[in-house]
Amino acid sequence: MNFAGFIVAQTLNAFSQAAILFFIACGLTLIFGIMRIINFAHGGLFMVGAYVGYSTVAYTGSFWLSLLIAPITVAAIGGIFEKVFLSKLYVRQDAGAYLMLTFGLAIILAQAVHLIWGPQPRSVAIPDLLRGVVVILNQPFPIYRLFLIAIGAAAAIALWQFLERTRAGLLIRAVSQNAEMVHALGTDVALVRTGIFMLGCAIAALGGVLSAPLVTAFLGMGSTVIIDAFVIVIIGGMGSFLGSIVGSLLVAFVQVFGAYYFQDMALAIIYLLMLLVLIVRPGGLLGKEQ
Amino acid sequence: MRERLVIALSAVLLCLVPLVVPNYTLTLIVEALIFGLFAMSLDLMVGYTRLHSFGHAAAYGMGAYSTALILLHFNLPLPIGIILGVAISVVIAIPIAWICTKSTGVSFAMLTLAFAQLGYAMIFRFKDISGGSDGIGGIPRPAGPFGIDFFQSKSGYFYLVVFCLVGSYLLCRAIVTSPFGAVLTGIRENEAKTRALGYNTRAYKMAVVVMAYGFGSLAGALYTPFAGFVAPELFFWLVSGRVLIMVIVGGAGTLIGPILGGICFMLLEQQLSEVTELWPLIFGSIFIAFVMLAPDGIWGLLTKRFRSKQVVPGDGEDGETSRATP
Repeated sequence: MNFAGFIVAQTLNAFSQAAILFFIACGLTLIFGIMRIINFAHGGLFMVGAYVGYSTVAYTGSFWLSLLIAPITVAAIGGIFEKVFLSKLYVRQDAGAYLMLTFGLAIILAQAVHLIWGPQPRSVAIPDLLRGVVVILNQPFPIYRLFLIAIGAAAAIALWQFLERTRAGLLIRAVSQNAEMVHALGTDVALVRTGIFMLGCAIAALGGVLSAPLVTAFLGMGSTVIIDAFVIVIIGGMGSFLGSIVGSLLVAFVQVFGAYYFQDMALAIIYLLMLLVLIVRPGGLLGKEQ
Repeated sequence: MRERLVIALSAVLLCLVPLVVPNYTLTLIVEALIFGLFAMSLDLMVGYTRLHSFGHAAAYGMGAYSTALILLHFNLPLPIGIILGVAISVVIAIPIAWICTKSTGVSFAMLTLAFAQLGYAMIFRFKDISGGSDGIGGIPRPAGPFGIDFFQSKSGYFYLVVFCLVGSYLLCRAIVTSPFGAVLTGIRENEAKTRALGYNTRAYKMAVVVMAYGFGSLAGALYTPFAGFVAPELFFWLVSGRVLIMVIVGGAGTLIGPILGGICFMLLEQQLSEVTELWPLIFGSIFIAFVMLAPDGIWGLLTKRFRSKQVVPGDGEDGETSRATP
């Protein structure tokens, strides 16, 4: 095995891993930025996305359609949840209440998936177009992972441009800075909040659909991925969109290369990274100092 | 005064429990009481100092694992094993508290989470000692010093747990009503002001974190010889999440509320999971109902009912409990 080929393959692996992580972390950080909510249900929504994607593929046979249907379904669930429950709590300003509410939703989602799809994992086939491998420096590399890198990068750039260039993005950034002032200037802040919550849910669901062909859709996928996402959001800085990109890349690289070079410490290494970042910069790499 | 009477009465009633309930139910009750103790320990941080820990499983896991290793490898009486287990956990908690109290708010929560997950990872790292994902089984319940062996039986162990729970409660109560506790409440309400008054708030926060970890590890230490095994899941973040929910459902900042929350949570979970497959759905809905309708928790509900009957409106005491929720 040649060293350069190994490094390139692992680097690409890390990028594809980062893409999946980014899909869940960026929704988490956007929601935190606007609402100051740590959404524990985000892992559950990611999982629901994967399962809805599975069903879409099972019924229609089209992977591409599932990339559309799953985010819409999950965004609808998120939107209803935000409107009916979360929005009633904004006046209370109580971190514990949000925690309980989203934790409750996470439990309900996990059980709902269990009831609807049953306990066994559901595997989703890689679409024909993306099946197979390409050889990079004598190393075979799955095309699907390259596709993940491409779609992850595209989503990151699109969201970044959306936040920086559009009027909706401007409003989102404004609400995260000073919601009262934006409200006073005549913007429907409640609508912005619902919108951003739905957007975050939709992106998480997209991540779920995309990860299903890699790891299958299984019941525990939400509770394992949410902790990685928390770590990313903390490392990058709570509420910082660019931070979620940087954090995803950092965590993915540490996971992929850590698993190879420090097998003993593979599990511990991202928590050590998080501790290090928090001790040096309590607000995260790109976050504001608290 | 009335409260004291209620507590004394419930302690006496608790002592009668092993005489009336069947063996299996007693197991459930012991586990519920241990979780009550665990939830109460977290209340010191969440309810009194507004330090939202999201890694309290670390305390439970450390207590459980250190007690397990001591009982397994040294031929010591059970109470000594438990005390040593707690002592080891407290020593480990000191640097954790030192690092975590560097920050506040969400990053405090995430630091505590990081330590708990680090503990989880370490269990897998040091497989030879900790048993890895299999955990450690066959932990003995040795007889006590001077040949005292009454807690080797299940009902005897029940009394040991009740003793620890009531003792810890009285201790925690003494802590939160002391001048030290007043400073903690000051930190909860306004840390900057408390610091301006000349208190070294960091030291107070460190102290309360170590105490909370101490009582939490006592719960873990009590769990180990009772269950006879430990597993890495004790460190997992879902445990931390559950205990935090217990504190909030019970009523943060009341000590007794989280105990009730922990007990109710465990008993309900055990009962409902037997009856119906739908229990997580019911649970999730209960949490949501509590957040939406009863933000002061179980204890808040109870005392409100109590107050509206007993207390004259406009009495100076009113509003005291309603501020307990962080």
